Amino acid sequence: MTDFQIETDQQFIEAFLHQLKKDEQFSSWELFKMAYEAEASTIIPDFDGLRALEYLPHMSFLPHQIDTAKTAIEEMNGRAILADEVGLGKTIEAGLIMKELMVRGLVHKALILVPASLVSQWAQELQEKFYIRAIPYRKNMAWDQSSIIISSIDTAKRDAHREIIQDIDYDLLLIDEAHKLKNHQTKNYDFVKQIRKKYCLMLTATPIQNKLMELFNLVSILKPGHLGSYDMFLKRYGNHRHAIQENEYLRKLIQKVMIRNTRESTQLQESKRNIETVWVDFSPLEMELYRELEQVTESFSPFSKITLLREYCSSKEACMLSLQKVAQTENAVGQLEPLIEKFSKLPHHAKSQKVLDIIQKAPNEKIIIFTEYRASQLYLQWFLQQHDIRSVPFRGGFKRGKKDWMKQLFENHAQVLIATEAGGEGINLQFCKNLINYDLPWNPMRLEQRIGRIHRYGQKSDVHIYNLSIRDTFEEQIIKVLYEKIKLFERVIGELDDILSALDIPDIEQEIQTIFTQSTSPGEAKIKLENLSSVIERHTNASKEDEAN
Amino acid sequence: MAITNINTFLRDYFQLNECPILQEQNGVLTVQLTEKMDKRLMNRPFYWQYVKSIGKHGEPMKLTLITNPVNRHSKGEWVHFGSPWYVQILNHLKEEHRFTKLYQRDFVQEEKTELHPWLILNQKISYIGRQKRDELFSLGLNLINGQMKTNMMTFLDALTLQPSIPDFSYTISPLIKLKSGYLRVQSVLYDYVTQQKHPWAVEARAKMEEDVDLAKHFFHDEADHAQLDKEISEIRNRYEPRICIQTINGGLFYLKRQQPPNQQN
Repeated sequence: MTDFQIETDQQFIEAFLHQLKKDEQFSSWELFKMAYEAEASTIIPDFDGLRALEYLPHMSFLPHQIDTAKTAIEEMNGRAILADEVGLGKTIEAGLIMKELMVRGLVHKALILVPASLVSQWAQELQEKFYIRAIPYRKNMAWDQSSIIISSIDTAKRDAHREIIQDIDYDLLLIDEAHKLKNHQTKNYDFVKQIRKKYCLMLTATPIQNKLMELFNLVSILKPGHLGSYDMFLKRYGNHRHAIQENEYLRKLIQKVMIRNTRESTQLQESKRNIETVWVDFSPLEMELYRELEQVTESFSPFSKITLLREYCSSKEACMLSLQKVAQTENAVGQLEPLIEKFSKLPHHAKSQKVLDIIQKAPNEKIIIFTEYRASQLYLQWFLQQHDIRSVPFRGGFKRGKKDWMKQLFENHAQVLIATEAGGEGINLQFCKNLINYDLPWNPMRLEQRIGRIHRYGQKSDVHIYNLSIRDTFEEQIIKVLYEKIKLFERVIGELDDILSALDIPDIEQEIQTIFTQSTSPGEAKIKLENLSSVIERHTNASKEDEAN
Repeated sequence: MAITNINTFLRDYFQLNECPILQEQNGVLTVQLTEKMDKRLMNRPFYWQYVKSIGKHGEPMKLTLITNPVNRHSKGEWVHFGSPWYVQILNHLKEEHRFTKLYQRDFVQEEKTELHPWLILNQKISYIGRQKRDELFSLGLNLINGQMKTNMMTFLDALTLQPSIPDFSYTISPLIKLKSGYLRVQSVLYDYVTQQKHPWAVEARAKMEEDVDLAKHFFHDEADHAQLDKEISEIRNRYEPRICIQTINGGLFYLKRQQPPNQQN
């Protein structure tokens, strides 16, 4: 006996009888048989396994991607957090899961929420890699017009759309960059919580960056109650992410809803990172002005001071913009005017000449330059143009279409792409294997995101990373401590993440900032930085020994 | 009876739909579409609308399909099991060819041949719980004596069938009405399904209860009943086991009295 629903087909016979009555043309034996064969070829013979693989012979999936898809479907029943490290192909995994659910007829209607800048990229990848036709939401489109729609959360949650979306029963809700939903008191969180869904995939590279509660909040959308109630959870595990390391039970619980592959675990090391520090010497005049800037800014807030010096090491244009602003806020117009005057007479920045050398040494290779400052970006573009080198700018603030366009220009027409920090997220440039860090971020996450643009799934050659650093400036200290001693570049991001959290350093950028701003002399800052790096180093060695034992 | 050779399958498909084969070599097939097939497959309604509005005849396209992966980079569409073209063609077949009426023709015919009516139904049973699985049956019911046979498509494939009644043949009218015949087949399938054990459904139910309990516990203190109801209904949607019995296609077949041998499924 069965105690569940059995649906039978009542329509077929009525339609058939109708057809017989009209005595219209019937199908020939051959076509009738072909229709049967078509059905026989598309049925799903087993509960388990990935049928979708047969549908995608043009794709070569990596073992960890196939395993992830199987686990998400068979063990997690289609609700999972996909938390691979950057560059291991989360989109591929999500696409494969989605395809499998569609091939099995379990998903027809889906909503895909991604950052606005990634909408068209998602549409393109789903189409080309998975033959899934997903339509980017456009103005005045009906939300039920197409069975699969891609939109940004910001668009979807607007008053005009929210209720309509929350009235639809989605078979699948997919959220990219899901860590943006970590706070349960935000409108975004509330909006997503209300969406009706059968299956749900959340993609994030940094699921537990800071707090355990953030992970709790993600799981509560996916599988409410899986980690217990909010208060109980808070009481038992507190807000520290080491709880996951310490508590076996909690770790297992989380592994039931989250899959995280790391570079290390997947042994995805077919392409290596070659890292080179490129030392640059300021010209005597540049150095003189660096020292002068140090002195003049002595009385400023430590934050302004450090910012100005960082900018000066990038380009005088970046520094001058801020100087003019600071002159007003710090009431130092008189003090700064002579300096600004001298700046304008400076010839080319020492770093830009170095950049030119690197580019000219490899005239047939694509190169990406990352800088923190827009002014430096503009300056570099102009500078390269003077030497007949075509470059394309790239910024996070570009509209989707423009981003795609710039990417295409870079791929087909220009040798160089110059990107600012915000442009880092979600653009894939595997066709390029050279990256210049024109100035260095202090936050390892951002650094990893930069490198992740080229050193990711699909990169077939080794990648070359050049870090420019100016001797005898604080850049030298930074690079020596952070990048050479702690080996920030070679490290796997998750690993550093773990170390920092074990040391209770939530934000390393903040930490360094503090060191610079609270030190009374360059010497003091240097010592403090070395202390920081020693602590990290010691911890790394200790945990390595643990492992060895 | 799954498709094994895509190339042959496609060639047959276009030929049966009256599209001339222009070229066929090493797994690269070029066909001239008819207007009807162009409208069906090429997805360009605006073109046809436009042509019609200016009172001209449209020009159906030529289509080059590549089935041999070795040649997949030559000009044309690479067609494989999952490619949109293939999926579209399979869907076209499934939608268009649901009904048939055919007569068996006998070549060694000396006297008048009596043809018995059979209702042939190709049925799909889907078991849907945490995952999904399908079964396919091809069943035949003799509408004179109520005999039921399985594996009919294979049996029929060995016969010669034609859309009109052959000379020297005559048909017997069904004693069992088509509709009651249909219901009889459905009830046999229903029994087949209910007499099985369904560990997958038990498992899905257990998983469902487990998740419902978690959700209830989670929203225990909250006054937000609406949210709890939403979660529970999502969980039910996801796990609630059900079986779906569907008729893929079927037809009325007039077959010689000699009965088809029963075959194991």
